[in-house]
Amino acid sequence: MALDSTGTDQSHKSHRSRQAGPKKKAKSDKKKKIISENDKKQNPKAFAFSSSVKAKRLQSRSVEKEQRRLHVPVIDRSYGEPAPYVVVVHGPPKVGKSLLIKCLVKHYTKQNMSEVRGPITIVSGKQRRVQFVECPNDINGMIDAAKFADLALLLIDGSYGFEMETFEFLNILQVHGFPKVMGVLTHLDKFKDVKKLKKTKQRLKHRFWTEIYDGAKLFYLSGLIHGKYPKREIHNLARFISVMKFHPLSWRASHPYILVDRFEDVTPPERVRVNKKCDRNVTLYGYLRGCNMKKGTKVHIAGVGDYSLAGMTGLADPCPLPSAAKKKGLREKEKLFYAPMSGLGDLLYDKDAVYININDHLVQFSKVDDEKGGVARKGRDRDVGEFLVKSLQNTQYSIDEKLEKSFISLFGRKPNTSSGAQDGAKGDLETVEEVGEIEPSERYQSEEEIESDESGEENDGHDRDGMEASDQDQAVQRDHLREHVEYNSGRLRRKAFFGNDVDHGDLRDSDEENENSDDDTDNQTSSGSDFSDEDEELNEIDDDMGNISKWKESLMERTVSRQNTNLMQLVYGKSTSTPTTTLNEAHDSSEDEESDGDDFFKPKGEGKKNLREGFDDGDVNAEDCSKFTNYENIKNWKDEELIQSIRDLFVTGDWQKSKNGNEVPEANSEEDDGAIYGDFEDLEAQEYKSHPTGDTGKGEIQKEGNLAVEERRLKKLALRAKKDQGKFHRNQDTESSYFDKLKEDIELRKQRNISELNDLDEPTRIEIEGFRTGTYLRLEVHDVPFEMVEYFDPCHPILVGGIGLAEENVGYMQARLKRHRWHKKLLKNRDPIIVSIGWRRYQTIPVYATEDQNGRHRMLKYTHEHMHCLAMFWGPLAPPNAGVVAVQNVSNNQATFRITATAVVLEFNHAARMVKKIKLVGYPCKIFKNTALIKDMFTSDLEVSRFEGAAIRTVSGIRGQVKKAAKEEIGNEPKKKGGQPGEGIARCTFEDKIKMSDIVFLRAWTQVEVPRFYNPLSTALQPRDQTWKGMKTTAELRREHNLPIPVNRDSLYKPIERKPKKFNPLVIPKNLQAALPFASKPKDIPSRKRPLLENRRPAVVMEPHERKVHALVQHLQLIRSEKMKKRKLKEEKRRKEIAVERTKDEQLARKRQREERRGRYREQDKLKKKMRRNA
Amino acid sequence: MGKTTYKRLKGSQNLRQRLLLSTLSSSPVLIEDIRAEETLPGLRPHEVSLLRLFEKVSDDCAVEINETGTKLKYKPGIVMGGRHILHDCGVSRSIGYFLEPLILLGLFAKKPLTIRLKGITNDSKDPSVDTFRSTTLPLLKRFGVPLEGLNLKIESRGSPPHGGGEVVLAIPIVQSLNAVTWTDVGMVKRIRGVTFSTKVSSQFENSMIHAARGIFNNFIPDVHIFTDHKAGLQAGFSPGYGISLVAETTAGCFISADTAIAYARAEETGDIEDEKKELMPPTEVGEQIASVLLGEIEQGGVVDSTHQGLLFLLCALCPQDVSKVRVAKLSPYGIETLRHIRDFLGAAHRPAPLVHQPPKLSADYLTASPLQVFLG
Repeated sequence: MALDSTGTDQSHKSHRSRQAGPKKKAKSDKKKKIISENDKKQNPKAFAFSSSVKAKRLQSRSVEKEQRRLHVPVIDRSYGEPAPYVVVVHGPPKVGKSLLIKCLVKHYTKQNMSEVRGPITIVSGKQRRVQFVECPNDINGMIDAAKFADLALLLIDGSYGFEMETFEFLNILQVHGFPKVMGVLTHLDKFKDVKKLKKTKQRLKHRFWTEIYDGAKLFYLSGLIHGKYPKREIHNLARFISVMKFHPLSWRASHPYILVDRFEDVTPPERVRVNKKCDRNVTLYGYLRGCNMKKGTKVHIAGVGDYSLAGMTGLADPCPLPSAAKKKGLREKEKLFYAPMSGLGDLLYDKDAVYININDHLVQFSKVDDEKGGVARKGRDRDVGEFLVKSLQNTQYSIDEKLEKSFISLFGRKPNTSSGAQDGAKGDLETVEEVGEIEPSERYQSEEEIESDESGEENDGHDRDGMEASDQDQAVQRDHLREHVEYNSGRLRRKAFFGNDVDHGDLRDSDEENENSDDDTDNQTSSGSDFSDEDEELNEIDDDMGNISKWKESLMERTVSRQNTNLMQLVYGKSTSTPTTTLNEAHDSSEDEESDGDDFFKPKGEGKKNLREGFDDGDVNAEDCSKFTNYENIKNWKDEELIQSIRDLFVTGDWQKSKNGNEVPEANSEEDDGAIYGDFEDLEAQEYKSHPTGDTGKGEIQKEGNLAVEERRLKKLALRAKKDQGKFHRNQDTESSYFDKLKEDIELRKQRNISELNDLDEPTRIEIEGFRTGTYLRLEVHDVPFEMVEYFDPCHPILVGGIGLAEENVGYMQARLKRHRWHKKLLKNRDPIIVSIGWRRYQTIPVYATEDQNGRHRMLKYTHEHMHCLAMFWGPLAPPNAGVVAVQNVSNNQATFRITATAVVLEFNHAARMVKKIKLVGYPCKIFKNTALIKDMFTSDLEVSRFEGAAIRTVSGIRGQVKKAAKEEIGNEPKKKGGQPGEGIARCTFEDKIKMSDIVFLRAWTQVEVPRFYNPLSTALQPRDQTWKGMKTTAELRREHNLPIPVNRDSLYKPIERKPKKFNPLVIPKNLQAALPFASKPKDIPSRKRPLLENRRPAVVMEPHERKVHALVQHLQLIRSEKMKKRKLKEEKRRKEIAVERTKDEQLARKRQREERRGRYREQDKLKKKMRRNA
Repeated sequence: MGKTTYKRLKGSQNLRQRLLLSTLSSSPVLIEDIRAEETLPGLRPHEVSLLRLFEKVSDDCAVEINETGTKLKYKPGIVMGGRHILHDCGVSRSIGYFLEPLILLGLFAKKPLTIRLKGITNDSKDPSVDTFRSTTLPLLKRFGVPLEGLNLKIESRGSPPHGGGEVVLAIPIVQSLNAVTWTDVGMVKRIRGVTFSTKVSSQFENSMIHAARGIFNNFIPDVHIFTDHKAGLQAGFSPGYGISLVAETTAGCFISADTAIAYARAEETGDIEDEKKELMPPTEVGEQIASVLLGEIEQGGVVDSTHQGLLFLLCALCPQDVSKVRVAKLSPYGIETLRHIRDFLGAAHRPAPLVHQPPKLSADYLTASPLQVFLG
């Protein structure tokens, strides 16, 4: 920057182009290319097609390419201003995530952040806000982050290379819709060698590209300057972030979701004090994303569970976009940012209060000031606000004393919004409301005081109806337990209301009693502007009691007057804003609403119902008939007057008149409205004619003007959309026209929706379409486990996702699953896995299967190695095409790749059967010819009849069929013979006679039950560093308990021992023998009487002398043979020696011969030379 | 979450819509106090038959009825559709009663549905099968349902009390419906109609046509009413005759009116009076129904009062777009439909229907005719 000022008069060296080297080569290449392109233009004929076939092929190819680029246009239903885009910064630990966020925040807002906790919202441009979130390092956090990220910045340690986390995160992203991804290389200053750095960059870039797509952006952050990334590089990165375009992802576009950027515990402190582990009420704040969120939508808080919302309010945007004034860039004042979890920002807005955050030391300061300089400044005129604050801090008097002095009515135990506990900065919140309290710093009072308060209240109440107090008492009695607890505790926070606040407080009281829950008062709105709540109150008051005091009447009148009477009321009854879920609530019998049977306090839903029923005369059993023809008052259509009245509704009538009048056939109805609507419908039919303004009033002209403007706008927008399209497909006429038309239709529809919805007033609009995306919402959730508050960690962002239609139901899902190729093992059937579908994460037990050729789903014991297989599991349903990512182990301390499998939901129904093979084994118990009775195959006759006609087989391969259950007489031994009456003996026929030793088996398929198990991952309800423990796999259990793998002995392979078969001699019956021809006849060998000579000869035993002789002979023979052997060896040796000798001689001889030959040749040579010379 | 939570409802009113919406929104319902106070408590035969029909076309749906039939638990399954399904509708209500929910159910099934329904085809209580052919099916076209595959074939006719009719309904499936902006009624350009007679003389039809024509001639000459005289097996088991008329407008709206005349069912008359009532003569029937049709035309909605409920349901089942339709005076059935749509579909992402009236016409809401209905 300093250079800029002086740079003007600085003379630069002129550029010298390279004369040699690779750069020169590259340059020349580029030039050549340009020239070649120019060539093409200059001589187009040279590049024309010579063959028509080729031309056609090329053309069709180009057309195909064009078409492939097109996407089905989708309607964008986010009409409001867009919510901030979520930029998730992800990377392995110690890679510089927080620093990057800090640097980006610094770049955008010029603010230094000490630490990054929770989402940080920033206004990054005139049209755009960005929310930075640091992705936690555990897999659960990564999964959640992948679900809300619009852009993921993957930080990679350049000096180390890719780490598993990056790939895991990429895989999760891919499954959950794949938002935009940008890589950022850090730690590049660790390279000393430039060449090596370059090489590494190149390598990492290409690896990155293979993972995402070729040309994916990878940023390089080269080192740190003063502990920060270089400004220029951050600037570039920020630029990339702020111009990035985001595609709508299908799951998110159809589900509302909120990334919580502020979290408060609003449980009454008393309850917490009494029981630390009581269920808490929490409020969650965040921008609504995805799609519109209606009242009554159930939500899933990731890692906690499903909840129905106790309250949902739209708040003012804490980080609004700048006003749309025409100027360049953002002003300094508009560079807002909002990060309540990081403890930044001093002002917090709630539904009906504003909190000012004062740091500890500041509070300290004022107090010190008060003590020291209080006396000195007493005389001076003090600022009112200052005085108030000072007086608030002053706690000299006890409450007793104060109470004696003041006449103040105290109502209801109103817990104040207490902070989310973890955030230390919130410890001393001072609400604006608290100004009205007597003793804000002393929050709790003792037991006796409550009683005295009660009496005080009664005293105060006597000028009113008196009913209020008894009402209060009743509440006390009814809610005995709670009150009891409170008295015991002795510490209670109470709120004071001054005289003119009475009705407000009263209203709240009655509210609270009706709801019979420890509601936070802030929830019960006191602001008159809230249409819906007022309505509810009105209802409640109606139900409440007979006497309606005057203030109530006036309130009612006010409300009624505000509600314009319309058909909506007629159809839906008065209370349009009562959520429909009240009907649903009835299922819980333990709910207080049902338990108190007195008609004094009626459930709201019931009241509403009564109101509705009143309209239809309470006929709940009315006949279900869509036809509604009243035959009584049929007009006489022969009457001329009547005929004239509808004359123009027919084509035979007056066309012009009917044009004007057909909207309002009744003659007496206003014509202008008809005209307006006629106008509108003309627009729809694309045959707009200028409408005669004629004699209608001023309002009509105005309205028509509006309509004309509206119509022009619609057309313009449609035109613009068309134009945009035209940019891409200028040269296509027929192909793109359909696409254009689609686009145009969608644009028109969107504009129409917007215009229709904008016509409504705000509460009605919210009632109909819900809160628009981009609204800053405050969600109140009741009865959350205390662990959520206890273990709340701002570094783990909370995701709140809306649950769609039927997604809270539980059922079987079928998914196409593929084991991740980096996961080391195959997946075993029925081993629990943790899946992430939609917003949820849960553990479930899948059953794997594959589809056979005939469409049978055959169960698999293990997943295929490189193929997809089907997985069926039980869990909360997700719609088809939802991506699933499965992990088996969520612990952080493992080196392996944690993503086990990816899948996509095919369908959720109960029809898909999975089967496995079953072999029924039986043994013959009786064999007839080709029929046999088989036992042990079936257990009962009924079972046999189930399998009638089934094919069976013996091991030896004889095929057969099951016929029927065997009758007792045939099959088994009859009873009288002492046999047992057998059940389940089947008569089977075979193609051949089987043997008793045969084993018969029947091959069949049996259905496999998928275990009905799922276990939501409650990771937000435990310390974050602890690993979530769910169901263990069998292998893990065995390992833990040191159990061996059970082995079925029968399944082992053993060496087959075959005994030699002993055959009996062939015996041919005499009769047969007689019949045989001679050749085949066994020859008649007479059995010998005497044994053979050989057998007869006795054993020879030698005499001693003989033996000696024999031994001697043997010895001699031995000696001789030994001698011979020796001699042979000797001869052998000699022969060898001779051979060696001979070879030696030969060699010598050869040598000599060679020498001789050489000499001879030499002689000859010399001779020749001599002769030549002589010649 | 593991346990199913039932939406609690009371009474037998609008059972069809409740079951339909419960199925389409897959939210289980528990209906109590079904005619608990009446002499004949519990579900009627046609309602039981309807439940059986729902079971037939869907997979894994569970119906539980208590002993007296006053309490019904319905857990919807997945609508499968399929071919060669046969259902006997019984004789307590006509086939029209079953067709109304079945059409919507079929659109959102997994496979195209072809079903054969047996029972009473024409009845004075429910829209007749002729009206379905002439009016309801074209109405679906507006919402982007392909017309091929959408078919209702009348194989034989049956009149109350014994029925004996048979129709085959084929419904294609749709990915999603299109939202409509349908505020132009147009002018009536032609009137068509069908008369039928079973087991009575075909002269009955001619006199009905003659009478109806007499009224229409004052308005429009393009009136064609066809006759459909059934005899023998095709005529079912009971005598009866009736007429169904449709007025078609230049903007493509179909406005229908129909009626059928037959002897009442035994169970209805048995309690009150023994002798058979005299049937309405055909000329009167013709005049009456023509007048009813003119009355519907006079009201000036894009659909007649019978189809209001269906129209609202179709609007509500579109994706999240605003539909704008113009209807005549809301019929009680239409109002109930709107309420049910809000109760069942409102809690999800769908905006609840809004019945909105242009502010200027608020003087007397029941007579004000142009309504907008926003449904998403």
